[in-house]
Amino acid sequence: MNNGISRSALCMLVLALVFLLGPFVVIFVAGFSADETLAFPPKSYGLRWVVYLFTVEAFQRSFVTSLLVGAGSTVAALAFGVPVAYALSRFDFAGKDAIKSVLTLPLIVPGIIVGLALLDLMVLAYALPVTWGLLIGHTTLLVPYTVRVVSASLANLRSDIDDAAVTLGATRLQAFFKVVLPNIRGGVAAAAVLAFITSFNQVPVSLFLTGPGVSTLPIEMMAYMETSYDPSIAALSTLLVLFTIVLVAFTEKLLGISKYV
Amino acid sequence: MRARVPWWLLLPALLLVGAFFVLPVLALLAGAFKVDGVLGLGHFTAFFNEPLHAQVYWRTLRIAGLATLVSAVVCYPAAMAMVKVPPPWRGLLTALVILPLMVSPIARTYAWIVLLGRNGFANTLLVGSGVISEPTTLLFTEGAVFLGLLQLMMPLMMLSLVSALENLPADVLAAAQTLGANRWQTFTRVVLPLTQEGLIVGGTLVFTGCVTAYITPALLGGPKVLLLETLLYQKVNVAGDIPAASVIAVLLLVTTIAVNQALKRVAR
Repeated sequence: MNNGISRSALCMLVLALVFLLGPFVVIFVAGFSADETLAFPPKSYGLRWVVYLFTVEAFQRSFVTSLLVGAGSTVAALAFGVPVAYALSRFDFAGKDAIKSVLTLPLIVPGIIVGLALLDLMVLAYALPVTWGLLIGHTTLLVPYTVRVVSASLANLRSDIDDAAVTLGATRLQAFFKVVLPNIRGGVAAAAVLAFITSFNQVPVSLFLTGPGVSTLPIEMMAYMETSYDPSIAALSTLLVLFTIVLVAFTEKLLGISKYV
Repeated sequence: MRARVPWWLLLPALLLVGAFFVLPVLALLAGAFKVDGVLGLGHFTAFFNEPLHAQVYWRTLRIAGLATLVSAVVCYPAAMAMVKVPPPWRGLLTALVILPLMVSPIARTYAWIVLLGRNGFANTLLVGSGVISEPTTLLFTEGAVFLGLLQLMMPLMMLSLVSALENLPADVLAAAQTLGANRWQTFTRVVLPLTQEGLIVGGTLVFTGCVTAYITPALLGGPKVLLLETLLYQKVNVAGDIPAASVIAVLLLVTTIAVNQALKRVAR
């Protein structure tokens, strides 16, 4: 164990990677199956089930819902979270730690509890549309992410540059939008991508907040799996994996998102 | 650092989380302790009087504990190898460990359905090699749920251990060996004590992640192998039993917080 890597440790690393990434290979192979039902290895290959995906109305509708909920709750979480991150990094005040703890609660409390609580005590109690519950539930879940990532970005920015702007005659608000925000736009964008992915993949919070007519893509996929045993979910999963790889690689190149995970 | 914080920066987020998160969740949890409007533990005794429920709770703890243990045993050597990989490859490896965390858990869990299903890879292999004559049930077993959860949560252990090992000074290991420690002694007496914080963080993340996962037990365990989360869903959507669901919610929270605190104490 001097400077070299011990052979058994290396074996374990390879094993761990095979275990972590093997399932993706399986999904890719199964996604291009042309068989009637799911079998592995497939007997024939083709784009049959990828094409089929685009004919299923439930997938299309829920995909649009997922995009809208993801975009809406990401924007809302940034609007709520960026001011908090700014206040936490630029001011010293009593109760700072308490505020930090309260705002990390949504990461700790299981999503299924949040979903049920919102359904039972808001949507049903006040006869609100389910979509509201979905948007609110996702937004509260995403606020901790935006606060954390934007805070990390602000920590790398000297706080005297906004003071300098104020000294030169800008208001605090102008200083924020003209000096601070342009300097942390990488962090804000990384927060947005991370938040969007989190919302887009989210199941437990959405579980009770979807109903007939309103459903997100992951919920629709789970419902489809209960009744059908064809390779279409493998095809859809393949597309989702590729979509995520492209998105993550793109943001990693631009912003280095791995710093914030 | 200025002393007076403009509260309007904090207020919107605090109101949002307070009104739409803290209050509803507290109200739901409070429901578990109220029987016909009176404080009491009736819902808890009723819940645990059903043998199935205690069984589900125990199964959840067992699978989560085992997944935490196995991920630690696998990830320690793997992470030790990873921190020694030279830079260009190192970045690629990190990306490969992080990437699964970004991908939809449904996509990740579905691979196990493909592998373990009746016409899946495992059955094809077993029947083809003559180990068994007919395809057997591998899906909807505790083993399937365990594998799925392990695969889902392992990156968290891996990343925690890698960041702990990165901070381990290389000369400490050299010193231990110069002083005559063998590999095992170096690990248990030097590496483990100096990186236990990473192990605790990783362990907490994996255990909590397993206890609170919904997709994996739903897809790989089904109604046959229920865990707390899938039982909660069933209580609401099949039985319409909100008090039982609140009891499970309390159990989920208490369990995750208790394990969190216990592991923190071990680290001290």
